[in-house]
Amino acid sequence: MNALISPKPAAAAEPLLRLQGIAHHFGGLNVLDKVEFDVPAGRIVGLLGPNGSGKTTCFNIVSGFLRPKAGSVRFAGDDVTAWSVQRRGSAGLVRTFQTPKVFEHMTVLENLMVGEYKTTRSGFVGALLSLPGARREYAAMRERATACAERFGLARLLHVVSGALPAGQRRIVELARACIAEPRVLLLDEPSSGLNTEEIETLRHWIERLNADGLTILLVSHDMGLMTVCDQAHVLYFGEIIASGSLAEVQCDPRVREAYLGV
Amino acid sequence: MTDLQKLRIGLTSLAVLAWAVAPLLVERSLLDVLNFSAILAIGGLGVGLLLGQCGIVNLGQSAFYGIGAYATAYGTTALGLPASAAMLIGMASAAAIALAIGWPMLRLGGFYLALATLAVGSIAGVLFFEWDWLTGGTLGVGGIPKLVVAGIELAEPMHYHYFIWPVVAGLSWLALNLIHSRQGLALRAMRDAAPAAEVLSIDLHRLKTVVFVISAVLGALAGSLFAHYVSFVSVQSFTVERSILFLLVPVVAGARSVPGIVIGALFVGLVPELLSALGDMHQVLFGLALVLVVTLLPGGITGLTTRWLARKEPA
Repeated sequence: MNALISPKPAAAAEPLLRLQGIAHHFGGLNVLDKVEFDVPAGRIVGLLGPNGSGKTTCFNIVSGFLRPKAGSVRFAGDDVTAWSVQRRGSAGLVRTFQTPKVFEHMTVLENLMVGEYKTTRSGFVGALLSLPGARREYAAMRERATACAERFGLARLLHVVSGALPAGQRRIVELARACIAEPRVLLLDEPSSGLNTEEIETLRHWIERLNADGLTILLVSHDMGLMTVCDQAHVLYFGEIIASGSLAEVQCDPRVREAYLGV
Repeated sequence: MTDLQKLRIGLTSLAVLAWAVAPLLVERSLLDVLNFSAILAIGGLGVGLLLGQCGIVNLGQSAFYGIGAYATAYGTTALGLPASAAMLIGMASAAAIALAIGWPMLRLGGFYLALATLAVGSIAGVLFFEWDWLTGGTLGVGGIPKLVVAGIELAEPMHYHYFIWPVVAGLSWLALNLIHSRQGLALRAMRDAAPAAEVLSIDLHRLKTVVFVISAVLGALAGSLFAHYVSFVSVQSFTVERSILFLLVPVVAGARSVPGIVIGALFVGLVPELLSALGDMHQVLFGLALVLVVTLLPGGITGLTTRWLARKEPA
């Protein structure tokens, strides 16, 4: 079977993504305090934590939707802390959203084609005048998006308006769209929320396959079941990392047990 | 061939036929109104691209409409420039001003942005009034020459009719090209889910600015064509009320559809005129007609065909 993505070679020395001393507060409320962890190339790293533990804030800082009050985000050797969302996207930090953000009035095919925006070039003049170069590029985008839809099992939904899809399929459309955008690190925010058991299994299958193709993934979730795909996990609790290691290790950690189970 | 394609070809042929025979069938005064509708369609197309493709409410189109009209008026009368040169100067000035204003202004969103565009329209209205050395103020500028195309002076409404609707068709073609392009995809993505578009490396601010500039250029073109058509321009034609008319054009008929924008222009141009036969009540009735269209047809007039096709499709 075809590879789902075409991974880029990672810069050698440093882990692909590194968070250093990240702190953030909303007003007087400390949400994150000295959060540090690495996402090595080719791994699936999980960020776990109960509701309100700061996962989403941390994720927004990594993807650029929030600037941290302190600390830095390094990606592929660059300090990207001050970079815009768009610039991080161009560099290969591509995220999905807790509630899948599909382009509702556009078809599945068009959604995937938008994913190719960054790898294509034609501008407004070519578009307005429908110049041959722009037309050729558009046709090629269409072709690649169709092939991508086939790989993700979306072929029969190509011309369906994505706003009409159920949650599970929206999630896959969003995932496929992120993958066609040539990510170097895929950031998945609570990808199992709103999905049924069967849909979570499908999602798990895609995450494992993408990783097998060489994609680095940062997964944020409170779903322990889905988290078993991770090579490493970090547990966030009231804005601090309280445990790190394999999932089995962190699950045995007394502080994690206390945070999750209150024992 | 799908139903949609058949419908499109059928309606387009009908529209072309109606265009070709209209001067034989309708009175001169109605032809005049149709020409104004075409001018509304051109300026409204810009506002429609902003509204339908970017989700931006533009209440300042009268500013650019005025810039085009005064460039033509001043350029062709005081400076003695050829019509095409004055028109190009109008469009270029509109583009430059839209870029200068749009770049900072388009960082705003929603109601704030709509209010900012309203301010642009209002300020332009005041400047058109105050700068009477250029605009003639309330006295206006007269004696603007008629357009000459292929050696024919477009002196009569019929001449203008055969000239301006192909211009509308050409511009609609450009707009459709834009919508069905890589940039068009990015615009719609931005409209539907801006954060997701940003993650996919789409520069939202740049895109909005470019469409704002395109919209302004269309506004200026409409203004120039208006000035040539009526031969006289004054500040009364470039008020905020005119901006609202330009906004109504896409709202009435479905901003996401280019043919919808043209239908909207016909509605906004023709309906008040047809209702005027009913005397003083006509403005109230036009208001009522608008309210009915907006409440009963949320997708605009063109939303009807979409719904009709959706019903016909097997489940």
